[in-house]
Amino acid sequence: MSSNTLQLGRLSVTTSSNRLELSGRLDDAAPLSSLATSELAREVVIDTGGISFVNSIGIREWMRLLRTLREAGIRVTLESVADVLITQMNMIPEARGDATISSFHALYVCEACGGEATPKIEVAPHRDALANLQAPSVPCGECGGKMDLADYPERYLTVFRP
Amino acid sequence: MGATLQPVEVFADLDRLLEAVRPDTVVVVDAGLANRRPDVVREREALAWIAVPGEGGAPCEQPIVSHLLEHGWSHVIAHPMPVLAEELLATVQKILRADPFSLEKYVAWGAEVRRYRLEDAEERDAAVTALAKDVIAAGSADRVGGLASVIADELLANALFTAPIDEHGARIRQSEPRDRPRRLQGRDVVTLRWATDARYLAIEVRDQWGSIDPVAVARRLARVSQEAATTADGGMGLPLAYACANQFIIGLAPGRLTEMVALIDLRFRPTELSRVASFHVFSGENPPGVGS
Repeated sequence: MSSNTLQLGRLSVTTSSNRLELSGRLDDAAPLSSLATSELAREVVIDTGGISFVNSIGIREWMRLLRTLREAGIRVTLESVADVLITQMNMIPEARGDATISSFHALYVCEACGGEATPKIEVAPHRDALANLQAPSVPCGECGGKMDLADYPERYLTVFRP
Repeated sequence: MGATLQPVEVFADLDRLLEAVRPDTVVVVDAGLANRRPDVVREREALAWIAVPGEGGAPCEQPIVSHLLEHGWSHVIAHPMPVLAEELLATVQKILRADPFSLEKYVAWGAEVRRYRLEDAEERDAAVTALAKDVIAAGSADRVGGLASVIADELLANALFTAPIDEHGARIRQSEPRDRPRRLQGRDVVTLRWATDARYLAIEVRDQWGSIDPVAVARRLARVSQEAATTADGGMGLPLAYACANQFIIGLAPGRLTEMVALIDLRFRPTELSRVASFHVFSGENPPGVGS
């Protein structure tokens, strides 16, 4: 399947008919709703794992994109949702819309060595725990110890509540 | 409060407290009590009303902070000890000394203050980048660098595009595209300053309009978690900056200066502090210039 890469300000977007991969800064210079073209399939995966910065204009553009896709009848799955975006989704319901989240990044800290990281958490294996605002532990990449969510669960997991 | 060397009286209930309040009194109230009677701030004039974590020393939760902001409280301290002591002392001293401006009040003496004076609206990114570089160079975690960037970006956007008003109070720059050059001269000049003392990273943005309505801002922050406040076309910038900070302070000289200071606490993990930032509004008549 062919893909194209385009630049929206400082946001890099790789597109194919059923997948969008976003990386960089989601801000004033990224008119995201232009991505909702008629060439998209009826089910689209959006990977935002490479997004490093989101400001209020960027989150507004993101909500417009989700709204436009929904109105076009396109089902959206969000994959590798960036740490900076998942926290916004928990604060602003429309930033998630009715998209399905399959995985996300979250701030974790190692109890043993104090290291911080933003590992990717798969939703399917932990669906029940996430719905109860319980984040799974993950192994520390530095020392092998146990890493736990470093923030209040509500900031990351409210979107998974039934 | 004893650190201010001012006489302190302690009361067990609000009615007895009210009897003792005078116009020059700084009133400190358990946030739990304040939450049950939020309009107490209007029952008796005081120099300031400050809500603080009380029962059991637990942090103030978001519903309480939001409730108090909705009811017009100018000072709500959300964090438990030891942050509570530092924040309360800084707040009371600013009030008693009628010296409400500048980030130096929040960092240790000697901490180097960096400054970026914007000559063009297009320099917002350059200013934020300069701040982020400094924060990382100072050894802060990537998480702090990200939070600081969002705070600075939103406060600058507010100063550049929301603060300017015409003679009728209309916000003349609000609908402007934000990625276009615009020379900043006279009242349009905006400054970003920051400093860290390993306890806090303090970020300050000043504009020369003094046009913000702090009560309206407080209400918008209070509704940050409510859908109605966050699906409108605008007004998400300050709530986003507030959500990234641990303390959010507005200094206002009406018609002359707005100063917003956001503090990120570098000592504690997010779960060791309140889920929500403290909030303060100060007013003053003799503001510093934006370049000072």
